[in-house]
Amino acid sequence: MMGPEESNEFGVGVAKKLGADEAILLTAISNERMSRFANSSVTVTKSVTESGQMVYLAKGGRRIIGSSSNPEKASLERFIGLLYKSMMSLPKDPGYVPLPPRGREFRPKASHDKRLESAEGLLAGYVEEAIGSAESAGARRTAGSLEAGVTSHHIAASNGAVGRDASSKILLNIRAFTDKDASGHGLSCSADVRGFHPGRAGATAGSHSKRMRDARGLSGEARKYEVLMSPTVASNLLQLVGEFSSAFSVEAGTSYLADKLGKKVASESLDLTDLGKGDGCLAARTFDDEGQPTQTTKLIEGGVLKSYLHNLSTAKRFKTKTTGNAGLIEPGPWNLEVARGDSDYDEMVREMKHGLVLTSNWYTRFKNYRTGEFSTVPRDGTYLVESGEVRAPIKGIRISDSLERMFSSIRLLSKDREWVQWWEVDNPTLCPWVLVDGVTVTKAYGESPPRAG
Amino acid sequence: MLLEEYRDLADYCVKEARRLGAEYAEARVHGGTGTGFLLKNGEPQPSMIEDSFGIAVRVIAGGAMGFSATNLLSKEKVRDIPAKTVRMAKSSARVVKEPIAMGDSKSSARKVRVEEKEPVEGADPNWLKSVLLEIDKRVVALQAGAGVKIPNRIMVASAGVEEKYIVTSDGARVESRVPRFNFFGIFTAMKGGDAAQRTLQQGETGGLEIVRRIRLLELVEAEARTLTEVLMEAEKAPTGIMDVVLSPELSGIAAHESVGHPQEADRILGREGAQAGESYLSKDSLGMKVGSEEANVSDDPTLAHSNGYAPVDDEGVVAKKRHLIVNGKVTEFLQNRATSSLLGVRNNGSSRSAAFDREPIIRMSNTFVEPGDYATTEELLKEVKDGIYLKSFTEWNIDDKRLNQRYTGLEAYLIKNGETTKLVRAPVLEITTPALWGSVKGRSKRLEFEAANCGKGDPMQGIPVWTGGPDTLLAGVRIAGGS
Repeated sequence: MMGPEESNEFGVGVAKKLGADEAILLTAISNERMSRFANSSVTVTKSVTESGQMVYLAKGGRRIIGSSSNPEKASLERFIGLLYKSMMSLPKDPGYVPLPPRGREFRPKASHDKRLESAEGLLAGYVEEAIGSAESAGARRTAGSLEAGVTSHHIAASNGAVGRDASSKILLNIRAFTDKDASGHGLSCSADVRGFHPGRAGATAGSHSKRMRDARGLSGEARKYEVLMSPTVASNLLQLVGEFSSAFSVEAGTSYLADKLGKKVASESLDLTDLGKGDGCLAARTFDDEGQPTQTTKLIEGGVLKSYLHNLSTAKRFKTKTTGNAGLIEPGPWNLEVARGDSDYDEMVREMKHGLVLTSNWYTRFKNYRTGEFSTVPRDGTYLVESGEVRAPIKGIRISDSLERMFSSIRLLSKDREWVQWWEVDNPTLCPWVLVDGVTVTKAYGESPPRAG
Repeated sequence: MLLEEYRDLADYCVKEARRLGAEYAEARVHGGTGTGFLLKNGEPQPSMIEDSFGIAVRVIAGGAMGFSATNLLSKEKVRDIPAKTVRMAKSSARVVKEPIAMGDSKSSARKVRVEEKEPVEGADPNWLKSVLLEIDKRVVALQAGAGVKIPNRIMVASAGVEEKYIVTSDGARVESRVPRFNFFGIFTAMKGGDAAQRTLQQGETGGLEIVRRIRLLELVEAEARTLTEVLMEAEKAPTGIMDVVLSPELSGIAAHESVGHPQEADRILGREGAQAGESYLSKDSLGMKVGSEEANVSDDPTLAHSNGYAPVDDEGVVAKKRHLIVNGKVTEFLQNRATSSLLGVRNNGSSRSAAFDREPIIRMSNTFVEPGDYATTEELLKEVKDGIYLKSFTEWNIDDKRLNQRYTGLEAYLIKNGETTKLVRAPVLEITTPALWGSVKGRSKRLEFEAANCGKGDPMQGIPVWTGGPDTLLAGVRIAGGS
């Protein structure tokens, strides 16, 4: 079996021999370990080792993309042959943009945490620490997942681009319960073991689960509240702003940021940046899927939309340069950073007259991507704030608003920030607490549910 | 292609894991081939071809579960997997407070093969492209004289074959080959600064003949036409308490979200608590009244052509139709080996995995409101004096105990004296689960299905399902919103 570099070089050679003008071979190898637990008991321990190879071919303005998981020499040769034959049956592609004539060589990035390459020995201890901290903070039971691993990317292209890099991450997501309706959520997300704090995440979840006992519904109909979003909640929404910054999304009509370059789309205090690499990034990449160097791209600065995310193809159509965010078809964010503010949690709560603190959410769905109208469901620690004081735990509510309106109504951002990546946040995001004015909150119609036995 | 040597690897893994002391062992070779094509605003994107296979090994050892997977399918790479998986399970046993057992579900030895008239394997990307270009042409033509533009048109057509070989230590040996065709589209209509958007998904098991069978071209064209009408004609929706008729599309999503999900036994037992959530029901809720006599919801993995077709599950157990709610009462949960063993009930074979690198977990297949007695939609609408007919929806969501849900209408009509009158804009049904199912007053005979991908598990597994039902009359529920 060939190694990734050998396999990539071999694939480029096969493509050239067949007559392709251009070829890119990109291999990703991941080693991931996961421990899942529920009712404070481990339910499964997983180990997944994968090698995936993406093949891009171009000839005479035609293009095709293939993905294969079989790195055997004969299989790869057969697969590229099939791709080439299929490509030659296609007409010319108007979106085709040639690769730059001379590709770059990318040196390996050596900053990933080698301890996470085979992390199974670490998992049980971290899980015990997280569960123990949650229970000490008041939880009756916990559920969660701990994931650790290293992914390496290897590229070779017909223009001479060649390189490899690697990134590591360890992610803990824990929920604590004191009752069916009383739960809390905690996260710890880090690119290395040094920055990983399972006990802290467990204690946060456990503490909220205790505070959420006897949570009640809001009285009255839909109305507007000041809403203080934890980094977990704010990053769920701001990573979507990152996705909507993709030029593909703009062209596809699935972004409210269409036609808004250079215009105000948020409060002056909002700066949102895409980071290809850098300290702490959970998905660091030195090169993108077209063999272009990744970079730091300011998406929103001072509330003004500064740039979309591009690959070579979208950059040509938008008459600009690639931002190194390919995706061969669709450019997308690598890691997102929201600039810190100068406030802190206590000050933000004191600033609120009639509001809600949200610590977790899920199921964000859009009524219309083009307008950014959406709703999302808060869960776990959710609290009513009156006259600067947290008063009562709240359940059964929904945020129903638009992204542009919400992020144009930011009042405060905290100094403290956290990296967030979990089930509801695909794109790793470094995010502060965010206080927003005038958010519409709704609730469901109907009687109280039957109490389960 | 699922090679003979892959089968040998799976057989070896199960035998070896048992030899090393596993109480239960299961191996699954899982993968497939497929072709996809994306058209963006009439511009073809590069075709995509996929070829991927891998092996998963799952064991119970010392009451703990271990799961390993790889797509490096050489003998050398797979040789150590059983030992590693058993070791991993045993080493986690100290943090297992609730030992896991797989019980004595009846294992199956069976070949599952979905017939196709026009094979999807090796589907010509040019053909997929021509289908999408023809749809695009029809949608673009709708703009003429409509006063509305449809500038954004994203469509993906994909055709592929999913193959599996599953072997377990208690005698299951299942081989399956399931071809599928899927369509996904997002259409945005604009009039000045106003926008309306429709997301469409269609999918069935079978060959490329599906495109004609479901009349895909006509279907998408009709939906795009409706989108322009919504933008041009829809008026502010009334709010307040009124009767609401849900179309098959709305009945299906409600059945999926607030009946299917809360009746997954793994949620009820807390196993999905960290991500997908738990359930408002408990293990003692069988027989509990959660709806009216007219509330009848089932899940059937055996429906021919269905997107969620799975007559044998990924634990090698024969799957059966599940009667989730009968006459308003909870009658059955979705079960796998472990949950049925723990709860002491029959295993109805609901365990599925989305890919080789995902563990099998409890999934819905084709979840639907059972059809009723009203011969036609029109006959059911006659029961309504003042109300709303929700025919399609955009945004939807539900809390993680499956109690507080919201569906925002896209194509929605005002009902006056038993007939639909005019289009109304974005009425919102935001309602608790008992209020929704408790208000069901009647159902039509018209049973229709929509394709969807259901998300659950960690890492996330999107799995093909159908959601469906007849027209369903809800008496006296609250409609909010309208813009």
